[in-house]
Amino acid sequence: MKDNTNILTIITWVILLSLASILLDDIRQFDFNQFKEFQNWAESADKNESWFTSKNAIKWSYYVISVALFFFRGYLIYGFSYFLSILKEIEKENYFSDNNIRSFKKIGNIFIWYTINVFVLRFLLASTRKTTFNFFNELKAEFTFLIPAGLALYILAEIFKQAKKTKEENDLTI
Amino acid sequence: MPIIVNLDLILAERKMKSKELAEIIGITTANLSILKSGKAKAVRFSTLEAICKALDCQPADILEYVEG
Repeated sequence: MKDNTNILTIITWVILLSLASILLDDIRQFDFNQFKEFQNWAESADKNESWFTSKNAIKWSYYVISVALFFFRGYLIYGFSYFLSILKEIEKENYFSDNNIRSFKKIGNIFIWYTINVFVLRFLLASTRKTTFNFFNELKAEFTFLIPAGLALYILAEIFKQAKKTKEENDLTI
Repeated sequence: MPIIVNLDLILAERKMKSKELAEIIGITTANLSILKSGKAKAVRFSTLEAICKALDCQPADILEYVEG
């Protein structure tokens, strides 16, 4: 089991580092290509124009949504990092510990919140760009598999909770 | 717990040490201590049988129900 745990830890680290580097690269590209464009627009924009109904709102919301999307990708990476704490507990042979139950719940939470928020943000982004938002196409998108994964982790947390109780009872059966 | 384990009394009567009993019945002294302190959630029939055999007594001599 220890060998498997080591391999899984290495795989998790590789996934985490790849996800983080992709995110950082996307942020860098966003800064260089789009933020300059945004700055140019901000300089030439009519400052007397009302905020909410004008182009200002559309431009600002576009950038705010883009930043929020980056934030949620970071949040997802943070969620993945909980797998490392689960693997650490497994290495210590604490299979049914409170830490594991908490970690499973947290990962489940993060997966579900990430999907819901990204879904809403994509909808908002589509409305600011005035492009069409196809609800079913978005649901088909690869990121929505995180909802069943999140639910599965919630169920796993409940199973581990019961398993912990049973283990405690078994330990106290002489 | 309303179930009292009188193992200490029987051991004293038989002039046997906990460690000795643990060795005879094949459990650890830590587990025997859990049993004696009343922290145990359950007792296996096999353990009870081994204790009765080692101490030459009946289960009722070891376990007692006290309404509480």
